[in-house]
This record gives sequence, structure tokens and C-alpha cells, in this order.
Amino acid sequence: MKEKLEALLREGTAKIEAAASEAELQEVKVLLLGKQGSVTELLKEIPKLDVALRPEMGKAVNNVKNLLSEQIEGRRETLKLKASEIAPDFDFTLPGTTPKIGGLHPITQMCYDLNDAFRSMGFEVFSGPEITSEYYAFDNLNFPPNHPARESMDTYWLEGHDSGEANEKLCLRPHLTGDSVRYMQTHKPPYRFVYPGRVYRNETTDARHERAFFQYEALIVDKDFTYTAGKVMIKSILQKVFGKDVPVRMRAGFFPFVEPGFEIDMGCLVCGGKGCSVCKHVGWIEIMPGGTPHPNVLRAAGLDPDEYTGFYVNIGLDRLVMMRYGVDDVRLFHSTDLRFLKQFR
Amino acid sequence: MKLSLNWIKDYVKIPDDMDLTRLAYDLTMSTVEVEGAENLADQFKNIVVGEILEVLPHPNADKLRVCKVNVGTEDIKDIVCGGSNLEAGMKVVVACPGAMVRWHGEGDPVEIKNAKLRGVQSFGMICAAVEVGLADLFPASDDHEIMDVTAFDAKAGTPLADALDLNDIILEIDNKSMTNRPDLWGHYGIARELAALYDLPLVEFDPFVPNVSEVYDVRIEDTERCQRYIGAKIEGLGVKPSPFLMQSRIWRVGMRPINALVDITNYVMLAVGQPTHVFDSDHIIDHISVRRAGEGEKLQLLNDKDISLVSDDLVIADAEGAVALAGVMGGAKDSVLPTTDSVILEIANFESRGVRRTAQRYDNRTEASSRYEKAIDAERCDQALSLAMKLFAELYPDMKLVAFNDVYPHKTKRAEIDVELDWLERRLGKRIPEEVISKKFGIMGYDVSFTEDMMHIVVPTWRSTGDVSEKCDIMEEVARMYGYENFEATTITTSFDSAINQLDYDLTRKVKEYLAFRSGMQEIFTYPWMSDECVSAIMPSTDGILALATPPSPTEKYVKCSLLPNICRAIVKNERNFDEFDIYEESLVFIDKNYTEKYKGEALPTQERHLGCAFVAKTEDIQSLYRHAKGIIAAMPSYTHMEGFTFTRDEKPFWADDVVWQNICLNGKRIGDIALLSKKSALTAGIKVVSAVLVELNIDEFVPFRSRTNKFTHLAEYPINDYDISFLVDSMVKFEEIYTAAMEKAKGGLLRGVSFVDEYKGKQVPAGKKSVTIRLAVGSDEKTLTSQEIEEVANGVMKKLQKTFGAERR
Repeated sequence: MKEKLEALLREGTAKIEAAASEAELQEVKVLLLGKQGSVTELLKEIPKLDVALRPEMGKAVNNVKNLLSEQIEGRRETLKLKASEIAPDFDFTLPGTTPKIGGLHPITQMCYDLNDAFRSMGFEVFSGPEITSEYYAFDNLNFPPNHPARESMDTYWLEGHDSGEANEKLCLRPHLTGDSVRYMQTHKPPYRFVYPGRVYRNETTDARHERAFFQYEALIVDKDFTYTAGKVMIKSILQKVFGKDVPVRMRAGFFPFVEPGFEIDMGCLVCGGKGCSVCKHVGWIEIMPGGTPHPNVLRAAGLDPDEYTGFYVNIGLDRLVMMRYGVDDVRLFHSTDLRFLKQFR
Repeated sequence: MKLSLNWIKDYVKIPDDMDLTRLAYDLTMSTVEVEGAENLADQFKNIVVGEILEVLPHPNADKLRVCKVNVGTEDIKDIVCGGSNLEAGMKVVVACPGAMVRWHGEGDPVEIKNAKLRGVQSFGMICAAVEVGLADLFPASDDHEIMDVTAFDAKAGTPLADALDLNDIILEIDNKSMTNRPDLWGHYGIARELAALYDLPLVEFDPFVPNVSEVYDVRIEDTERCQRYIGAKIEGLGVKPSPFLMQSRIWRVGMRPINALVDITNYVMLAVGQPTHVFDSDHIIDHISVRRAGEGEKLQLLNDKDISLVSDDLVIADAEGAVALAGVMGGAKDSVLPTTDSVILEIANFESRGVRRTAQRYDNRTEASSRYEKAIDAERCDQALSLAMKLFAELYPDMKLVAFNDVYPHKTKRAEIDVELDWLERRLGKRIPEEVISKKFGIMGYDVSFTEDMMHIVVPTWRSTGDVSEKCDIMEEVARMYGYENFEATTITTSFDSAINQLDYDLTRKVKEYLAFRSGMQEIFTYPWMSDECVSAIMPSTDGILALATPPSPTEKYVKCSLLPNICRAIVKNERNFDEFDIYEESLVFIDKNYTEKYKGEALPTQERHLGCAFVAKTEDIQSLYRHAKGIIAAMPSYTHMEGFTFTRDEKPFWADDVVWQNICLNGKRIGDIALLSKKSALTAGIKVVSAVLVELNIDEFVPFRSRTNKFTHLAEYPINDYDISFLVDSMVKFEEIYTAAMEKAKGGLLRGVSFVDEYKGKQVPAGKKSVTIRLAVGSDEKTLTSQEIEEVANGVMKKLQKTFGAERR
């Protein structure tokens, strides 16, 4: 009996220590001290013993019972403080349940990045009508009638509005520059504003040409603004958009509504200027035309070109986005294909 | 445009050690974009002159020969060849192993390797002209003819490029970068720019003095369209090939040599940018007149195209009729013919826009017309004449000028511009020394004189046809010649008036960001035109819809008047790949009305900024889809800071399902709709499987709050209790009616709010009924309510619902 009791204490202690959770401990408790528990069974045997032995053995069994009870309670406290309630096979590597994720169009994203950059430099954001008169599309932008540049921008004229005087002919805007005159006519100088938007050209489409695409124009008009300040402006903007210092160069270029006109190149980000297939091995990528607004454009806006000058850039948003992400087909932007659009966050 | 550097060097002495990359870079930075600069000789690497010593039969093939060829190496090579004109002593072109050739002139270039041909080892290949890209210079009379260079005095083994003098850099210029510069469309123009860039002397043309007394009869009837016409009758000519160098130069820059007479005219044009033409003088009857065409007058062009002229066309005519389309193309009958031995040389100036119209009218843009279109100065005829007469004399030592005339009604006027030096300095941010300006401008042909604070500029004729006319043009000339890179950056100064406050811009952006980032929707862009089937799905008629005069396709002529047609198209496109998606577009729509003058001088149709949304799922549970859509729309104003929307039922949109639709109002005005796209419209648009709840809103009607409008209320001192009640009610009863009835109990009492929890129709609910659970918010400002008090409020609400709708509590 005595040996039995000792073994019971030994085994019981071991079981208690091995219990890994409160639930397991409870099972052990029932096994030892429950109605049919090993200790209880031993207690039941005491009346069967010799009378002389009963008190001593009773005391011993009770002692073991108390010891085990204490151990169980002790173990219970330990488990409460230390252990997890959660089964150890919990899989913390499962992916999180995500909220439904949507997104802005990649062009909108780029446009907003640029807006933020320009607004931080005190520019307003302006937008004008997309159906415009020929007058605002060409005439008051230094495109004389029959100017070849009018035909290089093959225009979508509206049915029933495709003949007559320049202010009667209506089209989907072939470029944004008309908005600069609209803004200047309705605001007081000096000016500092951007006017992003979609423009339309009636041409054959392929991976590099679209009928609808996005431009982003910015214009500063002030007294005695030099084009070198324009270079500073472009550098600051690109730095903000690309998150790093981007080399910029300005070279001779021609556009009817600027004089002097520039082609503005940025250092190729793919090869770092060493030359690669993206930059046609020259290390530079043409990103925008720019220049000083042509005196005739300033005149159309009611300003004296002797007094006012400024700086203008026209950023091709589609191109910029294509370059930034390596998109190889401009038509994807208007595809409405969610497999494409969902890639941009 | 392609330019030969050797040719340019005829006019400006570019140092031989000039770094080519530097030259291309400098031209790009200051004048025109150089897209490429390649040595022509690079195409002919490992291609040499070989001398055939012996032609032997091939042991295994009838049509092949084995040639013993000296290619300048110590040993004589065996080369297998199938050429039809092989002869001992002939000098041929041998592509040695490593050379790139195009087999029979077709496909991509392939590399030549040592190979066995029908069992005989062959060293490289004896080439036909077409295989080394020289067919234009060495035309073959049959497919098997080998290129014969015997006439070139070259030793066997001489690299072909050296033998033919093809060591030349070809510059490829982006045409777009010089549309404004008529002076640059020839080698001389670029030479002038290089001279100015590097301060080098420029070769001048000696003026041609005609020593002939007979006046050729030239009559200019339209002096607006023709500002100058030089006619020179030259005899003692004949059709023959031009010298190899002339042919080679013409070929290098992308044209084809034809015969000496035609080549002279093309050479002159490529040199100085002035188109010229020659007529067979035997075919010109009596005189040359420059006049407008008669309506319907016929002319067969050099390219054999027969055209019927209109009176806007300017023609060159003789006593009998039109012989050429002025500035565009000569006529077939009277230009150079195989028998031509005397010509009328035409060097003329035609007005740019007229040439452009005519070239476009007949879809016939030529090297000549594209130059005239840029507006050439009339004085350039002098250079062309000088060069042309020199070339005639060189090529035809016996030629004789027999009659001459130079009718010159309009001299190109040189523009004069005054520039304040102070202005120039302020605009450039730097003072450029007068001597620098004088020197560069002098080389470019300007006359410059300085007074104390002024610069007076007389522009050369070749820049006076519209290119340089204002002082900003002069500023550009100064800046680019000084070098754009040589100006130090200046900072941008700013004046502060007020903070930028653009509520409308911010609002639209918040709407888009709310939908994308808060609501899990994807923004899309669509074209401004709509497909006919999507228009008929959405619009009851096409009245008031604007259309394009020349649409991208016949079934896409209508311009967006609503965003929903194109959204339907986007659904069609995406339902193939996705079972569930929410998309939106924000864009202008156009309606053929109003035509108000918002900006001076233009009356435009209505253009409203709209938002279109589609909530799309492959589902039977339209109730959930509709609530999903409505929840996103209804919560938008709290994010975008404006008054909340209300949902009414005033007018069913054409495209909407008969049951599932509402109008959306802001401040009592209908500004849009939300509805399930009807089955009929979905089918019309081509939507096959998914259901779509569509929303369209007029964003122009959104009124943003000037500032945030949040209000603070003190936190409740005593608890507000939620208490749910469920009841059965007729299934036609709408929640809004239940809400209104229940909230009547809220007036001044303990009921603080009512919200929807759940709705159930199904097994445990009798037909025609639904079970609705609503949540009551019950509380007091004075005490904590007992459960009995809360219960009483609920019973009051229940009683009201019972009375109003016969609701039974469950």
C-alpha cells in the first residue's frame, strides 16, 4: 500500500507537470482526485485495512491528496500566467483577410503626384472644356490658318460643327494649351497653374499611338522670368515624382506656342545615363516640350509680351507612366481591363 | 532627313579630328535632333574587291562555277558562285567570312561563313549588288548578275568602302525638329549652323551671270503664288548616267540616282534645299507660264497618275496646257525623256500653303513639295542656279545656255527687329557680350548693329519667311548659339497673396480617392465616343447626343452624353475574367444644348463632370448588391464634406430595372440615379452573365462645404441601450415607411434612434410576409433606464407598427 501510494505521488506529480493547458490539467485532476480517481480509489480501500493501520494510512493518503491538490493549483496558476489558451497548431502564417482593394487609374496616380508637387510650389490646378472651338484650339495659340501644325494634330471635328468660322467650328480638344488662354483671361497675373487633361487625335493606333491620351501642362507667367528658372522648376518636380535627383537637359525644339522652344530630356532612369534600349542608347529620354510662351499667346490672353514672360511645359503623362512602370502598349490605359489596372496601387 | 558629312564639308571646313559624338550632341542641343550618326563604311565590313583569275566549272552543279579569286591575301581563294556574268579579269565584290549580307537582297542580313557548296569548299561569297545594299548604284540587268566593280581602279583586297569612297558619316535628323526651319532642308543649311556653332568660315556660292542675250519667255500670271521663276534653256545635253560620286551622294541620303539630268536637279535640292525641275525643251511649246489650272484640266504626272485639276492648283503650262504641278511634281509627257537633249531648267519659288493644299489634294507629297511647304525664301534660287549651272557645265562640257529669264515679282523682304539689350539680359538672366552675338549672327547671315542700349537686327532672307519675326526669336538665337547649357540655373521667386484653396478640385479628388481606397472600387478610363449598341442600351434616343464628323469607326460616332454606355462596355470586357468587380469613371459628358459663352469668343455645348459607377456580381442576391452600391454612395458625402444624399423615387431611368431603382438627390435636386441595369439593357449592351447596379451622378452639382462642419455633442451621461425587435409584416412594406412610423415614437421620448438589422423571407415566414428586425436605441438624459422601461419603449414602437402595418411581433 505504501509503495502504491509513493508511486501514485510520483506519477501524479509527473502528470501534473506535464499538463500543457488548463483543460489537460483538469483531466489530470479528475484522473487523480475525481470520484473514480486513483487517490479516491485508495481512500476507498482504507476501511478494508487492519484497524491499527487505518489512521496512519488514512493520514498518508490524505497527505498525498493534499500534496497533489496543491500541485494542481500551483500548476494551474503557472498555466494561467504563462501559457496560451490557443492550440499550438494555430497557423499564424495564413494570409490576412484584406479589405476590398480598389485603385486609382495609373494615369490619375501620376497626375495626382504631379499635382501635389506643383501645388507645393504654389500652382493652381485648372481644367477647361474638352469640346473646344477651333479658335481656342488653334487661332489664338499662334497657329495661323492653314498652318501645317494644324494638320499634324488630326482633329476630331463634331458633326454639324465642322465648318464655318473658327469660333463656330467645334472639336474634341487636340491639345490642352487653349486652357492656358482661358485661365489667363479669367484670372489676374502673375500666373502659376497646371492644367492636366485628356486630348484627342484622329490617328491610327498602335502600341505607341493612341486616339485619346493625357497631357499635363504647367505655366508660369510673370515679369522677367528666365528659362533657367524653368529648368529648376522641372528638376524639382521630377525629383518629387521619382523620389530622387534626376538629371535634366534642355535643348532646341520647336512648338508654335512657345519661343524659344525646348525639348526637355531627363536622364534615363533605367540605365542611369549609360545608354540602354529604353533610351535608344543615348542616356536621355525626351519627356516634355517646353519654352517661353509665344508673344502671340500672351497677347491672346490680354498681356503685354514686353512686360510678361514665363515658362511652359507639356508633360506626356502616358509616356511618363509607361516609362516608370515599363508599360509597353499605350492602348492599355483606355482598355478598361482590370487585369491591367489592378496592378497599380 | 539624312545628311552626308562629307557633303557638308564641301561648304564648311569641319576639322578632321572633330569628335563625331560631340558634333551630333551640339547640333542636337542647339539646332535639330540628331537621331543617329553612322559611318556608311560600317555596312561593308569584311567586304573587299576581288579579282577573278579563272572561272572553272563546278564538278557537281551545272549552274554553279568555281572561281579562283585574288582577294588580296597571299593565297588564291576558291569561291563558288552562280553569277551569270562571271569572267576572268573581272573585279567583283567578295563578302569574306564575317561580312553581313542579305541573301538575294531579302530578309535580315546574315553573317557569311566558310562553307561547302555542293561538295566544294567556298571562301565567302561573290555578291550581287542587291546583296550588299547597292542595287540603286549598280542596277543589275538580271537576277543572277554579279556586281561589277572593274571600272573602279581598285586593287584586289581593297575594302569595298574605300574602293567606292563610301567612308562617310550619315547624320539622321528628326524631321519634326526642323519643321520651322526651311533653311535647314539641305546640306548647306546645316553647314551654316555648324559654321556658326564652331566659328568656322562658310563657303559662298558664286553668283551666276547669264551671258546670253535671248530672253526665255516666262509669264507669271499669279504673282502671289509664284514669287520668282527662273527659266533657262540649255542645249547640248543628253540622257546618260551621272558621275559615280554624284550618284553615290544622292543615294547615301536616301534618294535614287536616275540619270544625269534628273540627278542634277535632285543634287541641287539636297545641297541647298531649293527644288528644281527640268523639262524637255522640245516639248515645251512657245513659252512657260505659271498660272492657275482650269477646273477639270487634265495632267498626267511623272508617277503616271492622271489627275483632274481644280482652279486652286498652280500649274506650269506651255502654250498648249499644263506641263507640271507647280512645286509638287512634273508631268510625264514633258519632263526628261530618253531622247531629251535640251532642257528648260526651272528654278522657282512657290507659295507654301498653295503647294501644301495641292500636294494634299492629290495625296502626293514629294521631296519638293515638303520643302516648299516650309516657306522657302525667293533669294535661294540664286544659290540653286549657281550650283545647277556649275554642274551642267561639269557634266556636259559642250552644253550651251541659249535663253534665260529671271522673273522676280516679289523679293523676300528681310525682317528687321530691334532688341533692347536690357530686355535681353533680363530674359536670359545673363549679359552676352556684343562681340559674341556679332560673330555668331554674322555667320548665320544676320546684319547686326549696336547702339547704346539697342541691338538692330536685319534677318537673312532664308529666316525671314515666318521663322524669325520677333525679338523673342532673336533671344532664342542668342541663347542657343551661346549654348543652353552655359546658363546658370536661377531660382524661382514667389510672391504670396493667399493660400491655394480649390474646393472643387479637392472635392473631385476626394470622391475618387474615397471610391478607390475606402470602397474598393477601381477607376477606369474610357474613350469619349460610345458604341452604338451601348448607346441603345442606355439612352432612350439619340436626340441631343453630339456626334463626330469622322468617327474612329462607323459604329462609334456618338460622343459621351452619359458615362453608363461605356461602363457597360467595360463590364462586357471584364465579366470574362472576373465574377465580381466594382468600377467607376469620372469624366466630362457632352450634351448638344445651351451653347453659352463661358470664355470670350466661343459658345460651347453643355459639358458636365459626371461620375459613373458599376457594382457588378454574378449573383441572384440583388438585394445585397443594391445595398452594397447604395451604402458606398450614401456614405460618400461624409467623406467628401458635403450635404448628404437623399434617395427618392421620382422618375425611372430608361435603362433601369422596373423594380430596383431610385433617384439620388442633393439638397432636394435630382443629381443622379442608382438602379439595377435592366435585363433588356444588359442584353442590348452584350452583358452575358453578371448583374450590375449602375450609378451616375453629376459632380458639377456637388457643393463642397467651405470648411469642416463637424459638431461636438456631449457624451451621454447615462447609457443608451440597444434593443432589437423582430416582427412579421407585409412584404411590400418598405423599411423607410417602418422607420418613419417607428421614429414618430421618438419625439421627446426615450427612443433615440431606429436602425435596420435584418430582413428575412423564407420557410419560416408565411407567403407575402417578411420578417424584419430593427434596432432601437433607447436612453434617458436623467437616469439609467430599467429593463422594464426599455421594454415599454419597444412595446410602444411595436404597437405603432402593428397599428400602421399590421405588424406582428415574433
